[in-house]
Amino acid sequence: MFLSASANTGRGESPVSKPLIHASSIVKVFDELKVLNKASFTLNEGEFVAVTGKSGVGKSTLLGILGTLDPAFTGELTINGVSTPKASSMELAELRREFMGFIFQDFHLLPNLSALDNILLPAVFSGTDSLEVRKDAAAILSRLDLRNDNTPTRFLSRGERQRVASARALVNNPKVLLADEPTASLDEDSEENLFDLLDALRKERGFAIIAVLHSKRILSRADRILELKGGVLHEKHA
Amino acid sequence: MKNTRKAISLWNRGHWKDYVFSQGMLLVASLLLVFFISIGLGVGNILERFLSSDLPEEQVRITPQGVQAGFFQTERGGTEITADVMDSLTALPQVERIDPQVYAHVPAYLRGLLGGRNYYTDITLEGVSTAFVPDSMLEYIDWNYTLSDSAEKPLPIILSENLLILYNAGFAESNGLMGLTPEGVIGLEVQVNVGSSSIASLQAPPINLRAEIVGTSRSMALFALAVPIEFVEEVNNLYLPDDKHTYSALMVTALEAEDVPAIVRYAESMGLAAETRRGIAQKAEVLVGVVTAALGALAAAILFSAVASAIHTLVADLKNRSYALGVLVALGTKRERLVYIFAFQIFFMSLISTVFGGLLGCALSFLVSSTLLNLLPVLKYAVESLAVFPVGWLASGLGLVLAVSTISAWFFFRKILSTPVTELLRR
Ligand SMILES: Nc1ncnc2c1ncn2[C@@H]1O[C@H](COP(=O)(O)OP(=O)(O)OP(=O)(O)O)[C@@H](O)[C@H]1O
Ligand SMILES: [Mg+2]
Repeated sequence: MFLSASANTGRGESPVSKPLIHASSIVKVFDELKVLNKASFTLNEGEFVAVTGKSGVGKSTLLGILGTLDPAFTGELTINGVSTPKASSMELAELRREFMGFIFQDFHLLPNLSALDNILLPAVFSGTDSLEVRKDAAAILSRLDLRNDNTPTRFLSRGERQRVASARALVNNPKVLLADEPTASLDEDSEENLFDLLDALRKERGFAIIAVLHSKRILSRADRILELKGGVLHEKHA
Repeated sequence: MKNTRKAISLWNRGHWKDYVFSQGMLLVASLLLVFFISIGLGVGNILERFLSSDLPEEQVRITPQGVQAGFFQTERGGTEITADVMDSLTALPQVERIDPQVYAHVPAYLRGLLGGRNYYTDITLEGVSTAFVPDSMLEYIDWNYTLSDSAEKPLPIILSENLLILYNAGFAESNGLMGLTPEGVIGLEVQVNVGSSSIASLQAPPINLRAEIVGTSRSMALFALAVPIEFVEEVNNLYLPDDKHTYSALMVTALEAEDVPAIVRYAESMGLAAETRRGIAQKAEVLVGVVTAALGALAAAILFSAVASAIHTLVADLKNRSYALGVLVALGTKRERLVYIFAFQIFFMSLISTVFGGLLGCALSFLVSSTLLNLLPVLKYAVESLAVFPVGWLASGLGLVLAVSTISAWFFFRKILSTPVTELLRR
């Protein structure tokens, strides 16, 4: 019992917990371009890992692979104990829905839907929409200083849209948050606000974060910083 | 279910107008399908009705080539059917009997009080034997009549059904009278005047006769009245004693139905026209076939392009949404669930379009039918309506349109969903 340092796993697993995500020797090639060259990566429970690297080096590509959106790679990838190259599309969909939250670099919101509807969309389509989910969504929206009205997101400012994207990723109560430059369009205050919220939710719910980040101030909050260079990840010390 | 409704409503927000064109095309396709089937079959019915014959299978009706029944006298042309011709036909081994028909070469008219109004029409009397009269009719009528009978009994007459149609469309229509049915005229008493008509009269004084309509027939010239043959021969002798005796037609009965072609060949070799049930049926079949094929090809072409463009736009609509689909899949929506939801939506929308289009098609063919019948009242007495609604055919046609569009949309939808998510997310 005294070993139960990491709360919120809710599964009574050993504290020397198995990694949430484990990737090894990932190779990703676009036509002639080898973006990832035997990259390896591990994300443990509750961890906040930041990924940096020059533009075009392959950070988004890496996140796409880790998020099971891109199956076209070689190497090993295990997520929540599931070896993804062998998993069915049903299993992968379930992983993305139940286990992961995404903040995409391009947000990927549906422009005709309001912030709340965008956030609820995955739950509605999975048949898990409930009053509880709605309350949670409304709370997160207000924590991120977003209006909860019917304005379609195509009318929102870029920064507002980015925050809606963050809210959507959080509402499903993921175990892993994959965030691709989640503060790229935010001012410093909003940036701090988002990560304050993430920290608070992390304490409350205990999820891990892998985020592509550039901002020095936010990088300092990370447990580990990895730099993607030459197709592999290098550990950097804050 | 509630979630499915909500999902469909979220998915389509701001996109309902995308469906207007594809569903509109589907509606038009269904409308055309119903219209073509309904009117096409109706036209087929009319043709068959006009071309059908009540000639028995083993009979051949032989007439002079190109001879038409005029108003008061036959116009003669080509070989005439003389006694010699009749004798040579009688001599054929395949012939069982011959019943001649004779035109009265005498002007005549018919007058009657129909619907309280005086109806008058010039006619040609055609003398026929009992062979022409259906057995069912012979049971209750007496097909024997000479001028000496005129005091005791009415002249039995058989009306051409076409004359009835003409009466209905012309006189009845313009005087606001009820139309007459073939059954309804039986028993009507009219007057037949022999020896004069509206445009001709002869030296000898005309005779006025009481007449009774005993039946109707489809195999008669338009303005002909069939009357007992002895009566016509008597009238011809009375008014035109010097005229050469010829027949207007011969009803030749073959021993067997198989003998009919031989008789036809013989008659044709003599320069006469021969009509058989099969010949008429074949003519009708060819005509109906040609009309049906032409209409069918046209209908198929129009229908095909309507369905094709409906599917094309349906697919284009889906392609336009591939980004949104990518978002849903990226966020962990099962593809199976998406397929289920959208197949349901497309099916449901298309169902509404096809049913509604089908109903509009029914309404349109009904409208076209009643307009045509009003413009061409002749048709009104041949058929009740030009539009027929064979429910089974219509339902399966609409079902096919529905299935083809839904299945192809479903197929393309699955194809979009099998694209890698990263591709779909690339706008
Ligand atoms: N589908 C593709 N086909 C070909 N090349 C691609 C494709 N997707 C990405 N690339 C290339 O792979 C490289 C890595 O792209 P990626 O988006 O992962 O970079 P990134 O590190 O996220 O850059 P940024 O910081 O600008 O977002 C780039 O050079 C890009 O041009
Ligand atoms: Mg990127």
